[in-house]
Amino acid sequence: MPRDQFSPAQAQEVAAAFAAHQVDYMFIGKSGAILLGYPGTTQDVDVYPRKDPENGARIIGALKDLSFKLDPTLEDEIVQGKDFVQIKSGPFDIDLVFAPDGIDSYAEAKSRMDTSSGFPVLNIQDIIASKRSAGRPRDAVELPLLEAFQEVYEKRKIR
Amino acid sequence: MKDDDLEDFRQQCERNLQRSVADRMRYGFCYVYKPVLDDAPWRSFDSTAAYRKWCRENLPEYLGYGEPDALQKEILNAA
Repeated sequence: MPRDQFSPAQAQEVAAAFAAHQVDYMFIGKSGAILLGYPGTTQDVDVYPRKDPENGARIIGALKDLSFKLDPTLEDEIVQGKDFVQIKSGPFDIDLVFAPDGIDSYAEAKSRMDTSSGFPVLNIQDIIASKRSAGRPRDAVELPLLEAFQEVYEKRKIR
Repeated sequence: MKDDDLEDFRQQCERNLQRSVADRMRYGFCYVYKPVLDDAPWRSFDSTAAYRKWCRENLPEYLGYGEPDALQKEILNAA
């Protein structure tokens, strides 16, 4: 159902709650690209958490602090680390993507993580690779724009 | 997409990179109701492929989660 309220500061709220609970994660997808400076829009936050039960339990604590309503089955799914968990029972939408398309290893992705925005964000090259691998019409529309952004972003970092 | 359109977009990227992260969030996160997708409190999938399949089979085509057409495939496959 359509939402009554929406806060654009959702990434900041996730980052604060996840930090308080020591969740190991990165922002990915278009929400990650937006934090890096990509001039696009999205409505949800996509995060790539490390897949293990302890990290899953920390995510549950963080989401409860953010006022997400989690039923016991959903909590089990998060602790198990189901590959894709989409939650819309809180103040904003969040996708927990434990196995993003086109990304083989959490540790490798983390070693290339971009923290220049003050947030843990998947490297722009990995965001693009993941979009390409997802292979949806919406990704085909976004890819040329993301690649143009990458060009500008990387030139700017060199300066 | 024409190159001159991308040049405009590159300039837009330059301008957006000059914004604070708070402003990037203010302009970047906005709510648009998506039918079906937004109509359940949560859902989970054993694999990302299973999620993609669910999207293809259940979401309205105009949301862009379906099968890419020939031109879209060409863009997606151009590494």
